[in-house]
Amino acid sequence: MASFDVVAEAGEARRGQLQINDRTLETPHLFPVINFYGGGNEGALFGGGVHRTIKEFLAHDNEVTGGEDYSDLFNGVMTSISSLADYGIREKKLEWYLDNEIREWDCFSDYDGMIFADSGGYKILKQGGLEGEDFEKDIDQDKALDIQLDLGPDIVVNLDHPIHPDDEFEERIEKMEQTAANAARFAERRDEVNGACYLTVHGYYEAMLERSFDLIEDELAEPIPEAFDGIALGSLVPRKDNVEVLVEAVSDCKREMQQRGYDDLPLHVLGISGNAMPLLVAVGADTFDSASYLHQAINGKYCVNLFETVPIDEANFDDCECRICNDDFHRARMRNEMDDLYQKDILGSVAAHNLAVQQRELRKFRQLIAEADKERVAEYLEEAVKDQKGFRKFAYQLINERINPYFEETDTTYA
Amino acid sequence: MHKTPQVNEVNEFIEIASDFEDPLEVIREALSNSYDAGATQVDIKIEQDAEGRNTLIIKDDGHGMDEDDLSSFFDLGNSNKDDAIGYKGHGTKIYYKSDKIRVETVTDGTRIESVMDQPWAKLNDRELPTYSIEETESDEPSRTRIEVHGFRAGQGFDPRKLTYNKIEHYIKWKTIGGSTAWHFGDDFHEMDINVELSPTIDDTQDQIETDNRLQFPPENRDPEGEFVAEEMCKHYPPRELTVTLDDSRELTIEVVGMVGGKEARNKLPTYGKHSAQFGIWLAKDHIKVERYNDAIGADNEFFHFFFIANCQDLELSANREKIRNKSGDVYQSITDELNRYMTKVCQDSWYRNYIERRKLENKQRSIQSQGSSLEERLQHTKDQGGLSPSNPAEVIAALERYSANGSPETLEIADFRLDEEVNAIVDTDEGYKNAALQVKLSDFFENETPLTHIDRFICWKLGDLDALTKIERSSYLGKPIRFDFSNNEVTYGDENKKTIPVLELADKV
Repeated sequence: MASFDVVAEAGEARRGQLQINDRTLETPHLFPVINFYGGGNEGALFGGGVHRTIKEFLAHDNEVTGGEDYSDLFNGVMTSISSLADYGIREKKLEWYLDNEIREWDCFSDYDGMIFADSGGYKILKQGGLEGEDFEKDIDQDKALDIQLDLGPDIVVNLDHPIHPDDEFEERIEKMEQTAANAARFAERRDEVNGACYLTVHGYYEAMLERSFDLIEDELAEPIPEAFDGIALGSLVPRKDNVEVLVEAVSDCKREMQQRGYDDLPLHVLGISGNAMPLLVAVGADTFDSASYLHQAINGKYCVNLFETVPIDEANFDDCECRICNDDFHRARMRNEMDDLYQKDILGSVAAHNLAVQQRELRKFRQLIAEADKERVAEYLEEAVKDQKGFRKFAYQLINERINPYFEETDTTYA
Repeated sequence: MHKTPQVNEVNEFIEIASDFEDPLEVIREALSNSYDAGATQVDIKIEQDAEGRNTLIIKDDGHGMDEDDLSSFFDLGNSNKDDAIGYKGHGTKIYYKSDKIRVETVTDGTRIESVMDQPWAKLNDRELPTYSIEETESDEPSRTRIEVHGFRAGQGFDPRKLTYNKIEHYIKWKTIGGSTAWHFGDDFHEMDINVELSPTIDDTQDQIETDNRLQFPPENRDPEGEFVAEEMCKHYPPRELTVTLDDSRELTIEVVGMVGGKEARNKLPTYGKHSAQFGIWLAKDHIKVERYNDAIGADNEFFHFFFIANCQDLELSANREKIRNKSGDVYQSITDELNRYMTKVCQDSWYRNYIERRKLENKQRSIQSQGSSLEERLQHTKDQGGLSPSNPAEVIAALERYSANGSPETLEIADFRLDEEVNAIVDTDEGYKNAALQVKLSDFFENETPLTHIDRFICWKLGDLDALTKIERSSYLGKPIRFDFSNNEVTYGDENKKTIPVLELADKV
């Protein structure tokens, strides 16, 4: 049903194929976050604004795509049950949404990518459940999985209780214990899932991750690799701007997986993308998810590369190699040169471009890993960060210590 | 009508000759000229006669000068060189600040003797000095000898202020004698340098005998001992960095350097304030010009580093003291690339280990001074017979003493000082003990406080056990540590292991 094959490695970076039923995904991969239900009806693709435009890209709406096929941007997408109630819907509408799986609706029937259904633990726990205009639903592991399964997902993940850097020790332990209990309940129902089951773990360094794994193992009736098809590392969003912490967390999680013999499982990093991605791939992360492409567009920001954005009216499309920027239709949209354009039309193209930029970097990385040459990987990372003053020291440290030391012992004898 | 701008030649000569402030610059010019003449040996002698007049004699075995070369030697702005030192034809004009210049040079079977009388006096009389030329045939090997009589420069050339020590360090610091070119091969040739001062100037040592190589102190990467960071030293091998400018021009930056502690750095030559000469130097012709310590970022202290980054695309002011093209993209590209390179050095595992070791040793040193301060505190505590609260925290501690009544052992706070690393002295059944009093034990370790003087831990609760496990795995202040909470103790150290009991009050009160 679900398998993950590593097809090439360069240092700790790996290229893989995630196979779930008849769908295959090349990793490393970024799952763009899609809000499939944005408060609207089917005719409006259940939503409005840029969210709707993105879904129109995904559903090949020629008026939005300009007739080109951009489905490769959406080979695998992430959605969350908490997004169902983002627009204050009534309970009747929620039920209507959940009556059909996503691909059973006409508008998404052609969509053939993978759907990763997150439980949305962070949001749900913060709000205390799922809350609409006329309903409040407490969400526990069973209810979360019921809703996830109603979406018709390829990957589901247990309801987790994310930790926070400021949590007191006892609070953190409590959350980890709740996550472990949820994971155990989730595992009991794994037969209901026609796809891959991912397990969430939480922690910023080895000792925390060890505790997280230990607590889960204690709760589970079977070894983790028998109950789960992948590991999802969570709780990193509050530390998303601290690349040192991210690298430590991912690489310690990998080490913990190796020591426990789970190394064959794919490692997903929840909620992180952008400039940290190449470094996290370099220490062994396989997949990511993020809504940053969309939020940047909503804020009028056009990605120049993984590190820089400029206001859309300052963007130079000639400098970009992505298909969106090389398509006159989208250039005209992004420049607001067409009649009757709404913001969503302009920003939808920008969001697609932003996503294309992030995925382009991962595609490059996949090619480099295929060459199985860690020196090339180091060169790529070095080039990518060379003008990022604050960031590059972490990248150089990682290259130096983990990939290809700059000053080898043998290198230091004078001519 | 068109008019040609005029040059007042006399004023120009005066101006250029005066531009050299440091009398030692005459040595720099002489060494560079000899090197460019292919010399393998250059001898500089500075004499002073009974009337206090100075004579410089510079001899080399270079290829000598023909009449054209000699013209360039005396002319202004008419050099035979293209971009090396002296291409402006300014340097030798420093000799004009003298009573007489005599040049004797042999090249291709011709010996030329040339004399210029009273150049400085004539220039100041608004007269352009002239020089004589006398050619004879010679079968001698090529050579040049320059005598500058009655030389004065800058604030007045006072040889009595010169010493061998000063000159030697100047040569290694500011001239081609301190060149890093030898690391990079290309056009480098070795040149022996001798400098002799007349005994009336400095009779403390024999003449200077050196060469044109800047040598770093020997490597000492992993010395053994308790306080060794100061001796640590690592060389960073020569690297050629290439940068492509927007207009496709390529620049080459040749970097070589070392990182080292104080003892290692003290083995380097010194010119000026020792501490002010470390860091990252931009160089041209492999001679250091200006420091660019920004390349190592604010996280690192410049004095650990001594790197020389040479780039021939740097342009210098006439007296070579400053970089002239700082506002251009060439300088920007050089410094950008240098920033990247130095980031790599700063992320080198050895460097990080060196900094860590240095930090640990500094902590160990502070422990030694802490020891005597604690003894004083104990004496004071004994003298006054226990705690006399002076701040709220001390009152809390006193209450704690009260709470502890009925505990299996006597444990009384005898002294408490909030800001001290060992913040409490406790009176126990076994006598007075130094204690760390913490709300959470894990907070104590976050601050990396040394354990040397701590006999007891007293905390409300243990705190973040994961954070403590992390410390246990990575070592604490360079030594192994174990937290054994089943026995309520912390063990620390390798050979001289120390066990520190932990009292967690939350469970007991």
